[in-house]
Amino acid sequence: MTNPNDDARATNPGIITIIGIGQSLRGDDAAGLESVRLWQETYQSKHSSSTVKVELAELPGISLLNLLEGSQAAILVDAVHSSARPGTIHILAENQLEAFTQGSGSAHGWGVAETLSLGRQLKPSAMPDQLVLIGIEAGQLQLGNDLSPEVRAALPEAAKLVELYVLGEKLPG
Amino acid sequence: MNQDIQIPALARVEGEGALTVRLKDGVVNEIILNIYEPPRFFEGFLHGRYFQDVPDITARICGICPVAYQMSSVQALEAALQVTITPEVRQLRQLLYCAEYIESHALHIYLLQAPDLVGYESAISLAADAPDLVKKALRLKKIGNDLLKSIGGRSVHPVNTCVGGFYRWPSVDAIHTLVPELEWAKQVSIDTARWAATLSYPDFEQDYEFVALNRIDEYAIYDGYIASSTGKRVDPVDFEKNFLETHVEHSNALHSHTAENHTYFVGPLARFNLNYKKLRPIARDTAKEIGLKPTVRNPYKGLLARAIELVHATDLAIELANDYHPQGPSNKEIKVRPGEGWGVSEAPRGLLYHRYVVDEQGLVRFARITPPTAQNFAQMEADLWALAPSVVKLPQEEASLSFEHLLRSYDPCISCATHFLKLKIERE
Repeated sequence: MTNPNDDARATNPGIITIIGIGQSLRGDDAAGLESVRLWQETYQSKHSSSTVKVELAELPGISLLNLLEGSQAAILVDAVHSSARPGTIHILAENQLEAFTQGSGSAHGWGVAETLSLGRQLKPSAMPDQLVLIGIEAGQLQLGNDLSPEVRAALPEAAKLVELYVLGEKLPG
Repeated sequence: MNQDIQIPALARVEGEGALTVRLKDGVVNEIILNIYEPPRFFEGFLHGRYFQDVPDITARICGICPVAYQMSSVQALEAALQVTITPEVRQLRQLLYCAEYIESHALHIYLLQAPDLVGYESAISLAADAPDLVKKALRLKKIGNDLLKSIGGRSVHPVNTCVGGFYRWPSVDAIHTLVPELEWAKQVSIDTARWAATLSYPDFEQDYEFVALNRIDEYAIYDGYIASSTGKRVDPVDFEKNFLETHVEHSNALHSHTAENHTYFVGPLARFNLNYKKLRPIARDTAKEIGLKPTVRNPYKGLLARAIELVHATDLAIELANDYHPQGPSNKEIKVRPGEGWGVSEAPRGLLYHRYVVDEQGLVRFARITPPTAQNFAQMEADLWALAPSVVKLPQEEASLSFEHLLRSYDPCISCATHFLKLKIERE
């Protein structure tokens, strides 16, 4: 971990926005929302609501840009799908999200990666200087299901990473 | 084109869908539109839930049209529980619906369909060349979302709607302060219609049966009778007798037909064609100015109908917002009783039907949700068949694009219920 004072945010504090994303009714898709809720229960009282904004956005689509506007830094927490074990936590910089906008490769109108890329292109000044995504590998997506045990077990770690970010610490990875 | 077309995942539609077009001896032999659609799962999920939880659960079916799911569900449950809402609640629900039309139509016109018409692969590439256009679209969409938030508490999945009314009245100031932005939105909507009229649309017309809600006194969005371009009028109670759903093997979605076994078309084009005279005068004038009049039979021109509806929705929203001075309780007290109820409203993408059976404890014992896109599937497939003979002569990539463009013109909302990010993780 680096000294928080080394971080630009510590010397020039602006608004940090924490955004939980996910479909709350579909199993592990809720992992991002649940991580942010756990952060709220565990850590939020230590911070001022004027500097740390929290959004449980569910499926924001392109409205994500509105949620990010005016933030100096942002941390997004979302369920992700790669080939990793369910519950695996990925710490990702913006350029690591595949902007799946090529031809017919996109399954969705507006994904997080695509939305961020549009925001950077159109109105870079309104976008946060720093942005990181905590991705929690999902297992099952059954409607009405609870989180899988291995995904639930990953929530404290995800919430802790959010807290480290808010404190201006460098995240591992 | 001399080989089959496989579009494993349709781009720029809300949700997940795939299209396969199989050729045999250079002629189209099979067309399969494969859809992964969640509302059916929600029907089972609602079983055993308390009636008052239903609006908030159904709102999660879609991130783009949550209001529609709330509006059809509360109306069905209010019918089941014999609750009559106040005129003020109805007006606020209309305003909430306007908000959804603004954000949903702005998204579809500029970011989902326009790139096809102006020759861009995506809104991102369009934004590179025409940033002001896309910025305007985003501001328009944001105004819709802000209005949604001021009434529904949140900009994505509103939570204030309940069976019987609203949990609480939004603050008068919060609504009134949005009027100047709505005025801007109205002007931009008129400009949008003018701009959209300059685009060139593929030459493709079909003889559709259009179906939309209808009212004598207004352009029906929140409620009404079901009207068809054949002249048929159907009470919402009789929806399931007149519009039948059959399971199709290749799709998770059911396909809809009329009782006469015809495909039919719901959505902005159906509303425009059937209810043109009920549009707000400024919307009708704009339609006249751009030369759009019923009956429009070109599905690509649904974009023009959406633009006219944007003018209508912003103009109506301004009036409703200015008139907003709520008095009295924001919801009716509900006496729980067993019953069955039906509710229909016009989602941005078309008619949305809900039916619920509630038991003596207020628990849902049966739920039926028929979303607009499911009703359009059979029509979309029929259109693909009609388009195919000319398209298969084109080079492969162009042919794929042509099919996709047609499907996107329907603004299909196939599923918003998952949102996975695909990851490209570079490790050194």
